[in-house]
Amino acid sequence: MRVLPLLPLLLSGWFAVPAHADDAQDWLKRLGQAEQQQSYQGTFIYERNGSFSTHGIWHRVQDGKVRERLIQLDGAAYEVVRADGRTECVTGKVVSGLGDVADTTARQLNLQRLNDWYSVTRTGDSRVAGRPVVVIALTPRDQHRYGVELYLDRETGLPLKSLLLNDKGQLLERFQFTHLEITPPDDSQLKPSGQCRPVAMADDASPTIKPAHAWHSDWLPPGFELLSSAVRRDPKTKSEVTSLMYDDGLTRFSVFLEPLKGAAVADVRLQLGPTVAVSRHLTTPDGDIMATVVGEIPMGTAERIALSIRAGQAETPSQAKP
Amino acid sequence: MSREALQESLSAVMDNEADELELRRVLNAFDDPQTRDTWSRYQVARAVMHKDLLIPRLDIASAVSAALAEEQTPVKVVRGPWRSIGRLAVAASVTVAVLAGVRLYNQDDIVGVQLAQQSGQPSLSAPMVKGPAVLANYTENTEHGTGPMANGVLQGQPGWQDQRLPGYLRQHAEQAALKGTESPLPYARAASLENR
Repeated sequence: MRVLPLLPLLLSGWFAVPAHADDAQDWLKRLGQAEQQQSYQGTFIYERNGSFSTHGIWHRVQDGKVRERLIQLDGAAYEVVRADGRTECVTGKVVSGLGDVADTTARQLNLQRLNDWYSVTRTGDSRVAGRPVVVIALTPRDQHRYGVELYLDRETGLPLKSLLLNDKGQLLERFQFTHLEITPPDDSQLKPSGQCRPVAMADDASPTIKPAHAWHSDWLPPGFELLSSAVRRDPKTKSEVTSLMYDDGLTRFSVFLEPLKGAAVADVRLQLGPTVAVSRHLTTPDGDIMATVVGEIPMGTAERIALSIRAGQAETPSQAKP
Repeated sequence: MSREALQESLSAVMDNEADELELRRVLNAFDDPQTRDTWSRYQVARAVMHKDLLIPRLDIASAVSAALAEEQTPVKVVRGPWRSIGRLAVAASVTVAVLAGVRLYNQDDIVGVQLAQQSGQPSLSAPMVKGPAVLANYTENTEHGTGPMANGVLQGQPGWQDQRLPGYLRQHAEQAALKGTESPLPYARAASLENR
Protein backbone atom coordinates (compact mmCIF):
# COMPACT_ATOMS: atom_id res chain seq x y z
CA MET A 1 0.00 0.00 0.00
CA ARG A 2 2.62 2.41 -1.00
CA VAL A 3 0.10 4.47 -2.90
CA LEU A 4 -1.88 5.47 0.19
CA PRO A 5 0.42 8.27 1.36
CA LEU A 6 0.19 9.74 -2.11
CA LEU A 7 -3.59 9.78 -2.08
CA PRO A 8 -4.05 13.00 -0.09
CA LEU A 9 -1.61 14.66 -2.40
CA LEU A 10 -3.52 13.55 -5.48
CA LEU A 11 -6.84 14.56 -3.98
CA SER A 12 -5.58 17.94 -2.89
CA GLY A 13 -4.27 18.49 -6.41
CA TRP A 14 -7.68 17.59 -7.75
CA PHE A 15 -9.45 20.04 -5.50
CA ALA A 16 -6.88 22.74 -5.87
CA VAL A 17 -7.37 23.11 -9.62
CA PRO A 18 -10.98 24.31 -9.59
CA ALA A 19 -10.21 26.44 -6.58
CA HIS A 20 -7.44 28.03 -8.56
CA ALA A 21 -9.72 28.67 -11.51
CA ASP A 22 -12.26 30.35 -9.24
CA ASP A 23 -9.49 32.39 -7.79
CA ALA A 24 -8.61 33.64 -11.27
CA GLN A 25 -12.26 34.54 -11.87
CA ASP A 26 -12.34 36.54 -8.64
CA TRP A 27 -9.28 38.44 -9.72
CA LEU A 28 -10.86 39.27 -13.06
CA LYS A 29 -13.93 40.51 -11.22
CA ARG A 30 -11.70 42.71 -9.10
CA LEU A 31 -10.06 44.01 -12.27
CA GLY A 32 -13.45 45.02 -13.64
CA GLN A 33 -14.32 46.88 -10.45
CA ALA A 34 -10.92 48.45 -9.90
CA GLU A 35 -11.14 50.59 -13.04
CA GLN A 36 -14.45 52.01 -11.85
CA GLN A 37 -13.57 52.47 -8.20
CA GLN A 38 -9.87 53.06 -7.78
CA SER A 39 -8.11 56.38 -8.18
CA TYR A 40 -4.49 56.18 -9.16
CA GLN A 41 -1.66 57.88 -11.00
CA GLY A 42 1.54 56.61 -12.47
CA THR A 43 3.66 55.99 -15.52
CA PHE A 44 3.67 53.03 -17.85
CA ILE A 45 5.51 51.84 -20.90
CA TYR A 46 4.05 50.47 -24.09
CA GLU A 47 6.20 48.36 -26.32
CA ARG A 48 5.50 46.53 -29.51
CA ASN A 49 7.83 45.45 -32.24
CA GLY A 50 9.24 48.69 -33.59
CA SER A 51 7.76 51.04 -31.04
CA PHE A 52 8.55 51.87 -27.43
CA SER A 53 6.91 54.73 -25.56
CA THR A 54 6.33 55.94 -22.02
CA HIS A 55 3.09 57.47 -20.79
CA GLY A 56 1.72 59.22 -17.77
CA ILE A 57 -1.76 58.42 -16.46
CA TRP A 58 -3.98 60.21 -13.93
CA HIS A 59 -7.18 58.40 -13.06
CA ARG A 60 -9.67 59.81 -10.58
CA VAL A 61 -12.93 58.33 -9.37
CA GLN A 62 -15.05 60.85 -7.54
CA ASP A 63 -18.70 60.28 -6.62
CA GLY A 64 -18.80 57.37 -9.05
CA LYS A 65 -17.55 59.52 -11.94
CA VAL A 66 -14.36 58.50 -13.68
CA ARG A 67 -12.08 61.18 -15.03
CA GLU A 68 -8.83 60.23 -16.68
CA ARG A 69 -5.95 61.93 -18.45
CA LEU A 70 -3.22 60.19 -20.40
CA ILE A 71 -0.21 61.78 -22.03
CA GLN A 72 2.77 60.40 -23.85
CA LEU A 73 5.94 61.41 -22.05
CA ASP A 74 8.40 60.98 -24.91
CA GLY A 75 8.26 62.22 -28.47
CA ALA A 76 4.95 63.73 -29.50
CA ALA A 77 2.79 64.66 -26.51
CA TYR A 78 -0.15 62.52 -27.53
CA GLU A 79 -2.85 63.27 -25.01
CA VAL A 80 -6.33 62.01 -24.21
CA VAL A 81 -8.75 63.20 -21.57
CA ARG A 82 -11.75 61.02 -20.82
CA ALA A 83 -14.64 61.54 -18.49
CA ASP A 84 -17.18 58.81 -17.80
CA GLY A 85 -16.27 56.76 -20.83
CA ARG A 86 -16.52 59.76 -23.12
CA THR A 87 -13.45 61.21 -24.73
CA GLU A 88 -13.29 64.95 -24.12
CA CYS A 89 -10.22 65.80 -26.09
CA VAL A 90 -7.45 64.23 -28.13
CA THR A 91 -4.27 65.57 -29.61
CA GLY A 92 -2.84 64.58 -32.94
CA LYS A 93 -4.75 63.75 -36.04
CA VAL A 94 -8.19 62.74 -35.03
CA VAL A 95 -9.92 60.80 -37.72
CA SER A 96 -12.75 63.06 -38.70
CA GLY A 97 -16.20 61.86 -37.78
CA LEU A 98 -14.95 59.36 -35.30
CA GLY A 99 -18.24 57.58 -35.38
CA ASP A 100 -20.77 57.19 -32.64
CA VAL A 101 -18.77 58.55 -29.77
CA ALA A 102 -21.87 59.66 -27.96
CA ASP A 103 -23.31 56.20 -27.41
CA THR A 104 -20.11 54.93 -25.89
CA THR A 105 -21.00 53.07 -22.80
CA ALA A 106 -18.61 51.84 -20.20
CA ARG A 107 -18.33 48.21 -21.12
CA GLN A 108 -17.79 46.05 -18.15
CA LEU A 109 -15.67 43.00 -18.40
CA ASN A 110 -18.16 40.25 -19.19
CA LEU A 111 -16.78 37.26 -17.36
CA GLN A 112 -19.20 34.69 -18.73
CA ARG A 113 -18.45 35.69 -22.29
CA LEU A 114 -14.75 35.76 -21.60
CA ASN A 115 -14.85 32.23 -20.20
CA ASP A 116 -16.51 30.93 -23.34
CA TRP A 117 -13.55 31.87 -25.51
CA TYR A 118 -10.61 31.92 -23.13
CA SER A 119 -9.52 29.58 -20.40
CA VAL A 120 -8.72 31.70 -17.36
CA THR A 121 -6.07 30.44 -14.98
CA ARG A 122 -3.96 31.93 -12.26
CA THR A 123 -0.40 31.04 -13.08
CA GLY A 124 1.52 32.55 -10.18
CA ASP A 125 2.71 35.63 -8.38
CA SER A 126 5.19 38.27 -9.36
CA ARG A 127 6.18 41.90 -8.86
CA VAL A 128 5.51 44.87 -11.11
CA ALA A 129 6.39 48.53 -10.37
CA GLY A 130 7.57 47.48 -6.95
CA ARG A 131 4.18 46.02 -6.05
CA PRO A 132 3.19 42.38 -5.59
CA VAL A 133 0.93 41.11 -8.39
CA VAL A 134 -0.95 37.94 -9.32
CA VAL A 135 -0.53 36.57 -12.82
CA ILE A 136 -3.69 35.62 -14.71
CA ALA A 137 -3.36 33.85 -18.04
CA LEU A 138 -6.16 34.11 -20.60
CA THR A 139 -5.50 31.33 -23.05
CA PRO A 140 -7.64 31.30 -26.19
CA ARG A 141 -9.77 28.20 -26.76
CA ASP A 142 -9.40 28.46 -30.54
CA GLN A 143 -6.90 29.84 -33.03
CA HIS A 144 -8.91 32.98 -33.81
CA ARG A 145 -7.57 35.18 -31.02
CA TYR A 146 -4.41 35.88 -29.10
CA GLY A 147 -3.61 34.97 -25.52
CA VAL A 148 -3.22 37.58 -22.79
CA GLU A 149 -1.20 37.52 -19.60
CA LEU A 150 -2.47 39.95 -16.99
CA TYR A 151 -0.51 41.02 -13.93
CA LEU A 152 -3.01 42.39 -11.42
CA ASP A 153 -2.07 44.45 -8.41
CA ARG A 154 -2.70 42.46 -5.22
CA GLU A 155 -3.89 45.50 -3.31
CA THR A 156 -6.22 47.12 -5.85
CA GLY A 157 -6.75 44.63 -8.70
CA LEU A 158 -5.48 47.12 -11.27
CA PRO A 159 -3.78 45.70 -14.32
CA LEU A 160 -0.13 46.68 -13.86
CA LYS A 161 1.18 44.67 -16.76
CA SER A 162 -0.39 43.04 -19.77
CA LEU A 163 1.27 40.90 -22.41
CA LEU A 164 -0.22 39.82 -25.71
CA LEU A 165 1.05 36.47 -26.99
CA ASN A 166 0.51 34.69 -30.27
CA ASP A 167 -0.04 30.95 -30.69
CA LYS A 168 3.70 30.31 -30.67
CA GLY A 169 4.06 32.12 -27.37
CA GLN A 170 5.83 35.06 -28.99
CA LEU A 171 5.35 38.43 -27.37
CA LEU A 172 3.39 40.84 -29.55
CA GLU A 173 3.08 43.77 -27.19
CA ARG A 174 3.85 44.77 -23.65
CA PHE A 175 2.02 47.22 -21.44
CA GLN A 176 3.65 47.69 -18.06
CA PHE A 177 3.52 50.18 -15.24
CA THR A 178 6.86 51.38 -13.95
CA HIS A 179 5.42 53.52 -11.19
CA LEU A 180 2.04 53.58 -9.49
CA GLU A 181 0.55 55.61 -6.66
CA ILE A 182 -2.82 54.92 -5.17
CA THR A 183 -3.59 58.56 -4.50
CA PRO A 184 -6.26 60.56 -6.32
CA PRO A 185 -4.78 63.11 -8.74
CA ASP A 186 -5.82 66.74 -8.23
CA ASP A 187 -7.63 68.98 -10.70
CA SER A 188 -4.47 70.51 -12.16
CA GLN A 189 -3.15 67.11 -13.11
CA LEU A 190 -6.39 66.23 -14.87
CA LYS A 191 -6.54 69.46 -16.84
CA PRO A 192 -5.84 69.01 -20.53
CA SER A 193 -3.00 70.94 -22.09
CA GLY A 194 -3.59 73.47 -24.86
CA GLN A 195 -2.77 70.89 -27.53
CA CYS A 196 -5.74 68.74 -26.65
CA ARG A 197 -8.53 69.29 -29.17
CA PRO A 198 -12.08 68.68 -27.98
CA VAL A 199 -13.61 65.69 -29.71
CA ALA A 200 -17.12 67.12 -29.71
CA MET A 201 -16.02 69.84 -32.12
CA ALA A 202 -14.56 67.35 -34.52
CA ASP A 203 -17.86 65.51 -34.32
CA ASP A 204 -19.94 68.56 -35.25
CA ALA A 205 -17.78 69.24 -38.25
CA SER A 206 -18.07 65.72 -39.57
CA PRO A 207 -20.84 64.76 -41.96
CA THR A 208 -23.92 63.02 -40.67
CA ILE A 209 -23.54 59.44 -39.69
CA LYS A 210 -26.16 56.89 -40.50
CA PRO A 211 -26.10 53.32 -39.31
CA ALA A 212 -24.64 50.89 -41.79
CA HIS A 213 -26.73 47.92 -42.74
CA ALA A 214 -25.51 47.35 -46.22
CA TRP A 215 -22.82 44.86 -45.30
CA HIS A 216 -22.35 41.75 -43.26
CA SER A 217 -19.81 39.01 -42.90
CA ASP A 218 -20.71 35.44 -43.86
CA TRP A 219 -18.22 34.15 -41.38
CA LEU A 220 -17.03 35.58 -38.07
CA PRO A 221 -14.74 33.94 -35.58
CA PRO A 222 -16.98 32.46 -32.87
CA GLY A 223 -17.78 34.81 -30.02
CA PHE A 224 -17.35 38.06 -31.90
CA GLU A 225 -20.36 40.37 -31.97
CA LEU A 226 -21.02 43.62 -33.75
CA LEU A 227 -20.22 46.47 -31.39
CA SER A 228 -20.84 49.45 -33.64
CA SER A 229 -21.18 50.43 -37.24
CA ALA A 230 -20.91 53.71 -39.03
CA VAL A 231 -20.71 55.25 -42.48
CA ARG A 232 -18.59 58.29 -42.97
CA ARG A 233 -17.51 60.29 -45.96
CA ASP A 234 -13.80 60.75 -46.28
CA PRO A 235 -13.25 64.48 -46.70
CA LYS A 236 -10.19 63.95 -48.87
CA THR A 237 -11.24 61.16 -51.18
CA LYS A 238 -15.00 61.84 -51.13
CA SER A 239 -15.74 58.16 -50.91
CA GLU A 240 -18.11 56.57 -48.46
CA VAL A 241 -16.43 54.28 -45.97
CA THR A 242 -18.45 51.83 -43.94
CA SER A 243 -16.83 50.72 -40.72
CA LEU A 244 -17.95 47.87 -38.50
CA MET A 245 -16.41 47.00 -35.16
CA TYR A 246 -16.65 43.59 -33.51
CA ASP A 247 -15.50 42.31 -30.14
CA ASP A 248 -15.46 39.12 -28.11
CA GLY A 249 -15.28 40.76 -24.70
CA LEU A 250 -11.52 41.24 -24.84
CA THR A 251 -10.36 41.49 -28.44
CA ARG A 252 -11.62 43.90 -31.06
CA PHE A 253 -11.37 44.15 -34.79
CA SER A 254 -12.75 46.60 -37.35
CA VAL A 255 -13.89 46.05 -40.91
CA PHE A 256 -13.66 48.95 -43.37
CA LEU A 257 -15.46 48.85 -46.70
CA GLU A 258 -14.76 51.34 -49.41
CA PRO A 259 -15.88 51.37 -53.05
CA LEU A 260 -12.95 51.25 -55.41
CA LYS A 261 -14.52 53.26 -58.24
CA GLY A 262 -12.43 51.51 -60.83
CA ALA A 263 -9.06 51.94 -59.15
CA ALA A 264 -6.75 48.97 -59.53
CA VAL A 265 -5.62 47.96 -56.07
CA ALA A 266 -3.59 45.00 -54.91
CA ASP A 267 -4.48 42.89 -51.89
CA VAL A 268 -2.36 43.73 -48.87
CA ARG A 269 -1.39 42.03 -45.64
CA LEU A 270 0.32 44.00 -42.92
CA GLN A 271 1.39 43.12 -39.40
CA LEU A 272 2.12 46.02 -37.10
CA GLY A 273 3.06 44.60 -33.72
CA PRO A 274 -0.17 43.12 -32.41
CA THR A 275 -2.34 44.74 -35.05
CA VAL A 276 -2.97 43.07 -38.37
CA ALA A 277 -4.43 44.69 -41.47
CA VAL A 278 -5.70 42.63 -44.38
CA SER A 279 -7.12 44.25 -47.51
CA ARG A 280 -9.04 42.16 -50.02
CA HIS A 281 -10.55 43.13 -53.31
CA LEU A 282 -14.18 42.00 -53.52
CA THR A 283 -16.51 42.05 -56.47
CA THR A 284 -20.13 42.88 -55.69
CA PRO A 285 -23.14 43.59 -57.88
CA ASP A 286 -22.74 47.31 -57.13
CA GLY A 287 -19.12 47.39 -58.21
CA ASP A 288 -15.80 46.48 -56.75
CA ILE A 289 -15.02 47.25 -53.15
CA MET A 290 -12.00 46.97 -50.92
CA ALA A 291 -12.62 45.18 -47.62
CA THR A 292 -10.00 45.87 -44.97
CA VAL A 293 -9.93 44.05 -41.65
CA VAL A 294 -7.90 45.69 -38.89
CA GLY A 295 -7.50 44.27 -35.42
CA GLU A 296 -5.53 42.42 -32.81
CA ILE A 297 -6.32 39.02 -34.31
CA PRO A 298 -4.23 36.43 -36.15
CA MET A 299 -3.56 37.05 -39.84
CA GLY A 300 -5.42 33.95 -41.03
CA THR A 301 -8.55 34.90 -39.15
CA ALA A 302 -8.48 38.44 -40.53
CA GLU A 303 -8.04 37.05 -44.02
CA ARG A 304 -11.03 34.76 -43.65
CA ILE A 305 -13.21 37.58 -42.37
CA ALA A 306 -12.18 39.82 -45.26
CA LEU A 307 -13.10 37.10 -47.73
CA SER A 308 -16.51 36.56 -46.11
CA ILE A 309 -17.80 40.11 -46.44
CA ARG A 310 -21.06 40.19 -48.40
CA ALA A 311 -23.44 42.87 -49.48
CA GLY A 312 -26.83 43.08 -47.81
CA GLN A 313 -28.03 42.18 -44.38
CA ALA A 314 -27.32 38.91 -42.71
CA GLU A 315 -30.39 36.68 -42.85
CA THR A 316 -29.38 34.63 -39.87
CA PRO A 317 -27.16 35.54 -36.96
CA SER A 318 -23.95 35.31 -38.86
CA GLN A 319 -21.68 33.92 -36.24
CA ALA A 320 -23.10 30.46 -35.70
CA LYS A 321 -20.60 28.58 -37.80
CA PRO A 322 -17.23 28.03 -36.16
CA MET B 1 26.58 -16.84 -84.32
CA SER B 2 24.40 -17.48 -87.31
CA ARG B 3 24.08 -14.96 -90.05
CA GLU B 4 20.26 -15.05 -89.78
CA ALA B 5 20.27 -14.30 -86.09
CA LEU B 6 22.55 -11.31 -86.65
CA GLN B 7 20.34 -10.01 -89.46
CA GLU B 8 17.29 -10.34 -87.26
CA SER B 9 19.08 -8.39 -84.56
CA LEU B 10 20.08 -5.74 -87.08
CA SER B 11 16.48 -5.36 -88.15
CA ALA B 12 15.37 -5.13 -84.54
CA VAL B 13 17.95 -2.40 -83.80
CA MET B 14 16.77 -0.46 -86.82
CA ASP B 15 13.16 -0.65 -85.71
CA ASN B 16 14.21 0.39 -82.24
CA GLU B 17 12.99 -2.89 -80.85
CA ALA B 18 16.27 -4.53 -79.89
CA ASP B 19 16.95 -5.59 -76.35
CA GLU B 20 20.24 -4.98 -74.60
CA LEU B 21 21.76 -8.28 -75.72
CA GLU B 22 20.86 -7.84 -79.37
CA LEU B 23 22.22 -4.32 -79.41
CA ARG B 24 25.51 -5.56 -77.97
CA ARG B 25 25.71 -8.34 -80.53
CA VAL B 26 25.14 -5.90 -83.38
CA LEU B 27 27.75 -3.47 -82.07
CA ASN B 28 30.27 -6.26 -81.75
CA ALA B 29 29.62 -7.43 -85.25
CA PHE B 30 29.75 -3.96 -86.71
CA ASP B 31 33.44 -4.01 -87.51
CA ASP B 32 32.66 -6.58 -90.14
CA PRO B 33 32.15 -4.81 -93.53
CA GLN B 34 29.60 -7.42 -94.52
CA THR B 35 27.41 -6.52 -91.59
CA ARG B 36 27.76 -2.85 -92.43
CA ASP B 37 26.67 -3.57 -95.99
CA THR B 38 23.63 -5.39 -94.72
CA TRP B 39 22.89 -2.47 -92.43
CA SER B 40 23.01 0.06 -95.25
CA ARG B 41 20.87 -2.13 -97.46
CA TYR B 42 18.30 -2.36 -94.71
CA GLN B 43 18.44 1.40 -94.38
CA VAL B 44 17.72 1.82 -98.08
CA ALA B 45 14.81 -0.58 -97.89
CA ARG B 46 13.46 1.19 -94.83
CA ALA B 47 13.85 4.62 -96.45
CA VAL B 48 11.98 3.42 -99.50
CA MET B 49 9.19 1.98 -97.42
CA HIS B 50 8.87 5.17 -95.37
CA LYS B 51 9.53 7.39 -98.39
CA ASP B 52 12.35 9.06 -96.48
CA LEU B 53 15.19 11.06 -97.95
CA LEU B 54 18.26 8.88 -98.14
CA ILE B 55 21.88 9.63 -98.78
CA PRO B 56 23.28 6.29 -99.82
CA ARG B 57 26.80 5.28 -99.01
CA LEU B 58 27.20 7.76 -96.27
CA ASP B 59 29.19 5.85 -93.73
CA ILE B 60 29.62 8.09 -90.76
CA ALA B 61 30.50 5.27 -88.45
CA SER B 62 33.68 4.27 -90.28
CA ALA B 63 34.73 7.92 -90.59
CA VAL B 64 34.33 8.39 -86.86
CA SER B 65 36.26 5.19 -86.18
CA ALA B 66 39.08 6.35 -88.41
CA ALA B 67 39.21 9.74 -86.69
CA LEU B 68 39.32 8.09 -83.29
CA ALA B 69 42.17 5.87 -84.33
CA GLU B 70 44.23 8.84 -85.41
CA GLU B 71 43.59 10.77 -82.20
CA GLN B 72 46.56 11.07 -79.90
CA THR B 73 46.24 9.92 -76.32
CA PRO B 74 46.22 13.01 -74.11
CA VAL B 75 49.42 13.41 -72.12
CA LYS B 76 48.90 13.03 -68.41
CA VAL B 77 49.33 16.38 -66.69
CA VAL B 78 51.57 16.48 -63.65
CA ARG B 79 49.64 17.90 -60.73
CA GLY B 80 51.36 20.63 -58.79
CA PRO B 81 50.63 21.55 -55.16
CA TRP B 82 48.79 24.68 -56.33
CA ARG B 83 46.16 22.59 -57.94
CA SER B 84 45.14 20.91 -54.70
CA ILE B 85 45.23 24.25 -52.90
CA GLY B 86 43.03 25.63 -55.66
CA ARG B 87 40.59 22.78 -55.13
CA LEU B 88 40.59 23.45 -51.42
CA ALA B 89 39.89 27.09 -52.10
CA VAL B 90 36.95 26.17 -54.29
CA ALA B 91 35.58 23.87 -51.59
CA ALA B 92 36.03 26.56 -48.98
CA SER B 93 34.31 29.22 -51.02
CA VAL B 94 31.41 26.89 -51.69
CA THR B 95 31.09 26.34 -47.95
CA VAL B 96 31.20 30.07 -47.32
CA ALA B 97 28.62 30.65 -50.01
CA VAL B 98 26.31 28.04 -48.52
CA LEU B 99 26.73 29.44 -45.02
CA ALA B 100 26.18 32.97 -46.24
CA GLY B 101 23.16 31.80 -48.17
CA VAL B 102 21.65 30.21 -45.09
CA ARG B 103 22.40 33.32 -43.11
CA LEU B 104 20.92 35.58 -45.70
CA TYR B 105 17.90 33.36 -45.95
CA ASN B 106 17.40 33.54 -42.19
CA GLN B 107 18.02 37.22 -42.24
CA ASP B 108 15.35 37.57 -44.86
CA ASP B 109 12.97 36.10 -42.36
CA ILE B 110 13.99 38.59 -39.75
CA VAL B 111 13.85 41.46 -42.16
CA GLY B 112 10.39 40.32 -43.13
CA VAL B 113 9.32 40.52 -39.53
CA GLN B 114 11.03 43.82 -38.97
CA LEU B 115 9.70 45.32 -42.16
CA ALA B 116 6.23 44.84 -40.88
CA GLN B 117 6.98 47.15 -38.04
CA GLN B 118 6.44 50.77 -37.70
CA SER B 119 9.07 53.34 -37.08
CA GLY B 120 9.49 54.59 -33.58
CA GLN B 121 12.41 54.59 -31.29
CA PRO B 122 14.32 51.70 -32.80
CA SER B 123 17.20 52.08 -30.39
CA LEU B 124 14.82 51.25 -27.58
CA SER B 125 12.85 48.47 -29.15
CA ALA B 126 13.72 45.27 -27.42
CA PRO B 127 13.50 41.84 -29.00
CA MET B 128 9.80 41.32 -28.85
CA VAL B 129 9.73 38.41 -31.18
CA LYS B 130 12.39 35.91 -30.30
CA GLY B 131 15.44 35.56 -32.39
CA PRO B 132 18.28 37.85 -33.28
CA ALA B 133 16.30 41.03 -33.22
CA VAL B 134 18.94 43.15 -34.84
CA LEU B 135 17.13 46.17 -36.03
CA ALA B 136 20.02 47.55 -38.02
CA ASN B 137 18.30 47.08 -41.33
CA TYR B 138 15.23 48.69 -40.25
CA THR B 139 16.83 51.60 -38.48
CA GLU B 140 18.05 52.68 -41.87
CA ASN B 141 14.57 52.54 -43.20
CA THR B 142 13.13 54.64 -40.45
CA GLU B 143 15.45 57.45 -41.42
CA HIS B 144 13.54 58.17 -44.55
CA GLY B 145 10.22 56.85 -43.39
CA THR B 146 7.45 59.31 -43.95
CA GLY B 147 4.60 57.56 -42.25
CA PRO B 148 3.58 54.43 -40.47
CA MET B 149 3.52 52.64 -43.78
CA ALA B 150 6.73 54.03 -45.18
CA ASN B 151 8.85 51.16 -44.04
CA GLY B 152 6.07 48.65 -43.90
CA VAL B 153 5.13 46.00 -46.35
CA LEU B 154 3.43 48.63 -48.41
CA GLN B 155 6.61 50.10 -49.70
CA GLY B 156 6.64 49.86 -53.44
CA GLN B 157 2.87 49.82 -53.65
CA PRO B 158 2.05 53.46 -53.83
CA GLY B 159 -1.38 54.88 -54.09
CA TRP B 160 -4.60 53.62 -52.70
CA GLN B 161 -3.35 51.48 -49.85
CA ASP B 162 -0.81 54.05 -48.75
CA GLN B 163 -3.56 56.59 -48.40
CA ARG B 164 -6.13 54.39 -46.75
CA LEU B 165 -4.42 51.91 -44.45
CA PRO B 166 -2.82 54.38 -42.01
CA GLY B 167 -6.20 55.99 -41.57
CA TYR B 168 -7.89 52.64 -41.04
CA LEU B 169 -5.30 51.57 -38.47
CA ARG B 170 -5.66 54.83 -36.59
CA GLN B 171 -9.40 54.74 -36.74
CA HIS B 172 -9.48 51.20 -35.39
CA ALA B 173 -7.12 52.06 -32.55
CA GLU B 174 -9.00 55.22 -31.64
CA GLN B 175 -12.42 53.63 -31.75
CA ALA B 176 -11.18 50.79 -29.59
CA ALA B 177 -9.69 53.31 -27.19
CA LEU B 178 -12.88 55.36 -27.11
CA LYS B 179 -15.11 52.41 -26.47
CA GLY B 180 -13.00 50.64 -23.93
CA THR B 181 -12.63 51.69 -20.37
CA GLU B 182 -11.04 48.51 -19.10
CA SER B 183 -7.46 49.65 -19.46
CA PRO B 184 -5.26 52.31 -21.02
CA LEU B 185 -4.00 49.71 -23.47
CA PRO B 186 -6.06 50.72 -26.54
CA TYR B 187 -5.01 54.31 -25.92
CA ALA B 188 -1.36 53.23 -25.88
CA ARG B 189 -1.87 51.37 -29.15
CA ALA B 190 -3.39 54.45 -30.73
CA ALA B 191 -0.54 56.58 -29.41
CA SER B 192 2.04 54.23 -30.88
CA LEU B 193 0.49 54.76 -34.31
CA GLU B 194 0.88 58.50 -33.89
CA ASN B 195 4.60 58.11 -33.28
CA ARG B 196 6.64 58.87 -36.28
